[in-house]
Amino acid sequence: MASADSDTQPTEAIPHAVKIIVAGGFGAGKTTLVSSVSEIAPLSTEEVMTEASYGVDDLGGVEEKTTTTVALDFGRITIGTDIVLYLFGTPGQDRFWFMWEELAAGALGAVVLADTRRLDTCFHAVDFFERKGVPFIVAVNRFEGSTEYSAEEVREALDVPENVPVVAADARERKSSKEVLVELVTHVLRSRQAAMSG
Amino acid sequence: MNAERQQPQEESTVALTRRAPAELAPPEGEEERFLRPFAVDAGVNTSRPDGPVEQLDMLSRVVAARTPGRYEWLRPERETILNHAERASTVVELTAELGLPLGQVRAIAAEMLAEGSLQRCGPTRSLGHSDLLHAVLVGLRSL
Repeated sequence: MASADSDTQPTEAIPHAVKIIVAGGFGAGKTTLVSSVSEIAPLSTEEVMTEASYGVDDLGGVEEKTTTTVALDFGRITIGTDIVLYLFGTPGQDRFWFMWEELAAGALGAVVLADTRRLDTCFHAVDFFERKGVPFIVAVNRFEGSTEYSAEEVREALDVPENVPVVAADARERKSSKEVLVELVTHVLRSRQAAMSG
Repeated sequence: MNAERQQPQEESTVALTRRAPAELAPPEGEEERFLRPFAVDAGVNTSRPDGPVEQLDMLSRVVAARTPGRYEWLRPERETILNHAERASTVVELTAELGLPLGQVRAIAAEMLAEGSLQRCGPTRSLGHSDLLHAVLVGLRSL
């Protein structure tokens, strides 16, 4: 990655593409967070998944195949001429794990958005990033009508270790979303330094 | 999908199937899920004799190595890719531009790389991981 690519021929500067994942349960505010900090309206892409029976691809039974489209939205933040951040919201439903695998590969880190009204919906995300060794922080999204929980209560409920930051956020606010990202990158740097110093 | 389409090959099926690892496997009864090869490779022959096609990440950056040819409109996806990748573009941005599934765009782009219509490009200025993180942090703070 650090080596110069000899194939590069354009004269324009090619920035680093850095990936940050925004995960959380369905309706936790992932797209809202991405939209609030992205410099472009979030772009939408999709992946197609077929649910079908194994074996020979015969024509009989084709009518029983169902195709599921998984939507994947992403936003972009350009940082100087060297870096472009891509913020990916994970597909809401747990069953689209195959997209998570791909998203996690090479990601700088992840934000797990927690909705205190349905805290259990982000358990899977926490499990996944822990298992994959992707650094993450938890951002508790404020929803109107939700009971205020302290960061500690959320930490306990999610059973995340002490060193993982749990912060309050308002995904609708650009400033708040930006602070969440700053917190994540700070956490990644801190974990890295801790790992290097012993 | 005409008669000339190759039978799905074992290798390509393996390479293009995105299965969750065992511990994340979906609940029982859903194990049979897989990606239909033609939906992914758009008829592109991914089992070429000269080795596997290049693996493209969703954030791999490619740039057009040529302008669209006279008959490119016959293959509108390629025409769109060549036009859009006039400036280096990530695979995922091309996907959004084309409105096609990610896997399909990835396969087409890989084929175009193999035939020399596209070139992969890396960052102009290389940054170590730490420098990169610091630069991201400074950049985010100044947003």
